[in-house]
Amino acid sequence: MKNIGCALLAVVLLSYTTCLAGELGDQLAKESIVEKIQKTKVIRVGMSTFVPWAMKDKQGKLIGFEIDVARQLAQDMGVAVEFVPTAWSGIIPALMTGKFDVIIGGMGITPERNLKVNFTMPYDYSGMSMVAHKKKADGFSTLADFNKKEVDIAVRMGTTAEQAARKYLPNARLRLFENESQALQELNLGRVHAVVSSAPMPVFHSLKYPDKLFVPLKENFTKEPIGFAIRKGDHDALNYFNNWILNARAQGFLAEKKAYWFESRQWEDLVK
Amino acid sequence: MVRVLDYQWEWDIIPGYFLFRDPATGRLQPNMLLLGFLTTIKLSAWSMVLAFFLGTVSGVMGAKGGFPSRLISRFYVETARNIPSLVLVILFYYFVSSQFLDALGLDIWLRSQSDTMQRMVSFFLADTGQINAFVSAAVALGIYEGAYISEIVRGGINSISAGQWEAAWSIGLSPFNTFRLVVLPQAFRKVAFPMAGQFISTIKDSAIVSVISVQELTFQGMELMAATFLTFEIWITITVLYFVLTFSLSRSISFVEKRMAIRQ
Repeated sequence: MKNIGCALLAVVLLSYTTCLAGELGDQLAKESIVEKIQKTKVIRVGMSTFVPWAMKDKQGKLIGFEIDVARQLAQDMGVAVEFVPTAWSGIIPALMTGKFDVIIGGMGITPERNLKVNFTMPYDYSGMSMVAHKKKADGFSTLADFNKKEVDIAVRMGTTAEQAARKYLPNARLRLFENESQALQELNLGRVHAVVSSAPMPVFHSLKYPDKLFVPLKENFTKEPIGFAIRKGDHDALNYFNNWILNARAQGFLAEKKAYWFESRQWEDLVK
Repeated sequence: MVRVLDYQWEWDIIPGYFLFRDPATGRLQPNMLLLGFLTTIKLSAWSMVLAFFLGTVSGVMGAKGGFPSRLISRFYVETARNIPSLVLVILFYYFVSSQFLDALGLDIWLRSQSDTMQRMVSFFLADTGQINAFVSAAVALGIYEGAYISEIVRGGINSISAGQWEAAWSIGLSPFNTFRLVVLPQAFRKVAFPMAGQFISTIKDSAIVSVISVQELTFQGMELMAATFLTFEIWITITVLYFVLTFSLSRSISFVEKRMAIRQ
């Protein structure tokens, strides 16, 4: 009898919290975040470490392409910026429950994600690339070489790299990791054949260990748009961010930042 | 020669992640690993305070309360102990804290306070932007550990023999005074050391809250690994830090335990 009582109470509590979570979504949508940001004088940006989009330098300060974009955005809005480093696998739930206002974190626009959140127009394009182990993947040079049952591929969980690997390498065995560094570690130890990740990281990593790793494919095998993600139903914010991106592109700001973070390696000394 | 672990060690840059010299002011500043270590200590301390309070109340209710109190205590203990702490922390952060903490507007209130006030809060709790995640992590951990403390306290009270109650009754003490003056002091001596052990395990369990992005030691380490790819150096450093913290605590507890045993 006591146990039944406990179970009932647990069910009631659970359904209550679920209802409340739904209500919270409605409540968040009522006020545009653009107004909220103006009122609180701070924009809270959700991000996760991804070299060279966002990372910490030797002094523990955040640097990277996304960080520059978010800082500029905050400056143009006349508010302070606050970064909320978040584990990538939980970043969309965190946005939906209002832990921050916007994700500026190199998030690829995908139909699946778009069902949960709204995306701005792309402010950048990224593509999937691959870095492979010289001994294990000896002679591999096409996607078909990797698309075999005995090939192991490591990727970061919940990323578009995972989706790309599932789509283009359906026969290979996937190994999922919470962080990119763990996937790369697996590759360095020769336990997997290759790591799939957004460019330019695979190229940078192969340059770091030239005697052990190589880049098998000459070009990126996907092209994907990258946008800010915001909660659904906030059209004012969507309009504001879209137009900010249009302006930033027209003024050459995005191209200049992209050249610095993705084509040059001048920032390497800042990190290590 | 076959190398078991093919890895380039780069230990020399690790100390820089504890302390670095600010090029602008020339003063030493704490860096990510040290900040994470301090956050772990703060987080564990607050969860311990909460767990101690919750556990004692629930333990006393479970041992000496009437049927409704015992039912509540049982419900709490069995729920908290039979949910993985990881699940509890995530549930708490995404559902419960979104309702109560965010509705309270703690971070918004804090932002409107003076700099000194914000720095004080940052010293004892967390930075303004982190406050909601920190509080929800501390509360979730406190609830989780409190269930174990509750069982320790209940066991301690039940271990006091019935003869003590009867003796106190026969010299005319009221039930409340019997509990306060006779049972509780004896029980607390018995439970002090198991409880201290539970506090040490709180420190270890605190690594779990890295999933809700509280910037404690494990999270900072993982962020650092994602940026530098120094997987082994950083994991080893984190391991040593946790070990130093918990081992020194457990040594000092057993030292006190021995001293107390001699005095008795």
